[in-house]
Amino acid sequence: MNSSEVKKWYYILPVLSIGMFFAAWIFLSQGADTMIPTPYATLQRFLDICVNPISEATLIVHIWASLKRVLIAFFFAIVLGVFLGVGLGWSKAFDSFLGPVFEILRPIPPIAWIPLVILWCGIGELPKVVIVFIGSFVPIVLNTCSGIKEIDPLLINAGLVLGANRRQLLFEITLPATVPAILAGIRTALSSGWMCVVAAEMIVAKQGVGFLIVRGQESGDTALILACMLVIGVVNLLLSTILVKLEGVLCPWQFSKTK
Amino acid sequence: MENKKRTKTKYFCLSVLGLFLFFGIWELSVRLGWVSDRVLSPPSTVVETFIFKLSNVNPDGSTLPQHFLQSLRLALSSFAVAVVIGVPLGWIMGYYKWASWLLNPLFEIIRPIPPIAWIPIIILTMGIGMSAKMFIIFVAAFVPCVINSYLGIRLTDQVRINVAKTFGASDWEIFTTVCIPSSMNMVFTGVRLSLNASWTTLCAAEMLAATRGLGYMIQLGRTLIRPDIIIVGMFTIGFTGALLNKVLGMFEKKVAPWRYRE
Amino acid sequence: MAVLKNKISLKNVSKTYYLKDRTVEVLKDITLDVKENEFLVLLGPGQCGKTVLLNIIADLEKATSGEIIFADGRPKMGDLGMVFQKYALFPWKTVMGNVEMNQKLKGVDKATRQAKAQEYINLVGLQGFEKAIPKQLSGGMKQRVGIARAYASESDIMLMDEPFGALDAQTRYSMEDEIIKIWEKNKRTIVFVTNNVEEALYLGDRIMLLASRPSYVKKEYIVDLPRPRSYTDKAFLEMRNEIVANTDLDI
Repeated sequence: MNSSEVKKWYYILPVLSIGMFFAAWIFLSQGADTMIPTPYATLQRFLDICVNPISEATLIVHIWASLKRVLIAFFFAIVLGVFLGVGLGWSKAFDSFLGPVFEILRPIPPIAWIPLVILWCGIGELPKVVIVFIGSFVPIVLNTCSGIKEIDPLLINAGLVLGANRRQLLFEITLPATVPAILAGIRTALSSGWMCVVAAEMIVAKQGVGFLIVRGQESGDTALILACMLVIGVVNLLLSTILVKLEGVLCPWQFSKTK
Repeated sequence: MENKKRTKTKYFCLSVLGLFLFFGIWELSVRLGWVSDRVLSPPSTVVETFIFKLSNVNPDGSTLPQHFLQSLRLALSSFAVAVVIGVPLGWIMGYYKWASWLLNPLFEIIRPIPPIAWIPIIILTMGIGMSAKMFIIFVAAFVPCVINSYLGIRLTDQVRINVAKTFGASDWEIFTTVCIPSSMNMVFTGVRLSLNASWTTLCAAEMLAATRGLGYMIQLGRTLIRPDIIIVGMFTIGFTGALLNKVLGMFEKKVAPWRYRE
Repeated sequence: MAVLKNKISLKNVSKTYYLKDRTVEVLKDITLDVKENEFLVLLGPGQCGKTVLLNIIADLEKATSGEIIFADGRPKMGDLGMVFQKYALFPWKTVMGNVEMNQKLKGVDKATRQAKAQEYINLVGLQGFEKAIPKQLSGGMKQRVGIARAYASESDIMLMDEPFGALDAQTRYSMEDEIIKIWEKNKRTIVFVTNNVEEALYLGDRIMLLASRPSYVKKEYIVDLPRPRSYTDKAFLEMRNEIVANTDLDI
């Protein structure tokens, strides 16, 4: 193949694949007893929920309800997660003291906390926020902790030679050097938090995208379900795009990170 | 040397103290009535319930081992299928441009959707049987396998490929002897993510639609207001997840010792 | 040459690492003196423990046995300049931020420490780059920052751990000239580690040739050639051949 021919395929194949995707979708949506809606019906349903409220809220209100839960939980997860992660990574004594307890609780998936958290906090706003908190707290702690443990020893030596005492070594050298690792943790945490809010809302909620998708399931409204999946995916994508941009601003000395 | 031993003992004591305080406060908070036993069971009750559930089907219809085996079988079989299909697919997408141009757009659409959001549509179209749940877990486990294997091939050092070329290796030989081995690092990362995703998603799927399995057990524990059952389930889920990870780690150490680090 | 005062004296310094399954003897009975304001080169094959020796002098590691005597008392941490092979610059700090770090850690106020840092930035020829971050600089410029940062500690002792080891040949030659220029402008006691015989001969007043593992002082060479030296000078080449013949092969 010469290069112009290669270039041609570069445009044709993706179009072909998206085309096949929709063809398969339309194919599945034909027939008398199928549950799958056509792409057109899904689009219509999407436009419909943008203006016509379900459970007294339009789509944008549902999205905001979910986002608000994520953002509140996220704020606490960052503050407490970085704090705990620094403690575990920096102080051997602190690590010995709290490390084992953290190791016992860590492998429990955040979703498995849902029943217990509902028992604790009822069915208001709090349980969702707590679930999202658990889901985003753990990755932040882990990344912060390993970021601190894996800091380049040369930087520590440089700091020591320049006369840093232990406190300065932490605040002037170790913490700034760990910022990229913390940001990587925050990125994982945000996508985990978004998944958790969907899960929590699917199990018990009166508002939010997770509630909408379950409403679709209960009423057999598959167009609503597909529209919601799309919305959930797009919001997830937007959140991570914003974070990547933010990373570039927050640590310009390392935009091109290898994960 | 002597000093080292002393600090080691000190840290060990701190660990024991931490665990002791954690379980102690937990036990006392319920025993002394600070926390109602309708929302939290003390560790001693949890242990009792654990032993009871080992052989008794009450109140949720199956013994703990039955729930456990059901969940494990479901998660592992879907996980295995996802790895067997996903990893080679990722390799092909990474090596052959036409494959990535054809398939990448699809993955870009699917990737941001959390696997949990697939549950309602799959339940509606496939029912709540074994195959529906297997499919959900497959979706969850498949995506990280493909993406990491793909990246593993893409990140192959060009120098290694050039060395192989100067030795006169064919396209296929470069693919199998250079690209695939150097992608293994990323492949293992993908497999690990995939295992975690399948275990988490399994939990969610069983909580939403099942009559047996650990996820079902904790969900029923909530309905019956039995925190002890929930906690037994949570720890079983967590412990099994950690154990699976450990087994995978041992496997990795055997297959790819260069990757392993303490 | 006039008799110079000893600045640092190492007496029977040894270092052994006790690993899980074996012990590794890295340094064995190293005894040497560093004279005031001299440019001393420690020359040895790769992996021979030169860096360990430098770390011990800088108090980053402890010797297993032996002692190190500083004529003016052991300098506190932060009162000793060190230049690292891989620069060890703080990537999130600007050139100014890196160079003023020592004074900042000592609590010197901003105006004073920045004025001081500016002096050293000018000394290494980086004026105009104060606000650049290390990522934007070439290897040679990064190491200039490393040198300025070490100088800014105002220490009269400078330890340099293969500072030009990561640079390409051209940059390396110009940095060798540069370091001599800087040192002649601002005399300090320099202990310079390298595995490159020509570099050692080009720079040093004195060369200590170290043996490979375990490392000990094999021979002392006094380089009495006038500066600036030439790589093609006859005396230079003779000395080079003599040292090379004496060097342990680096496997």
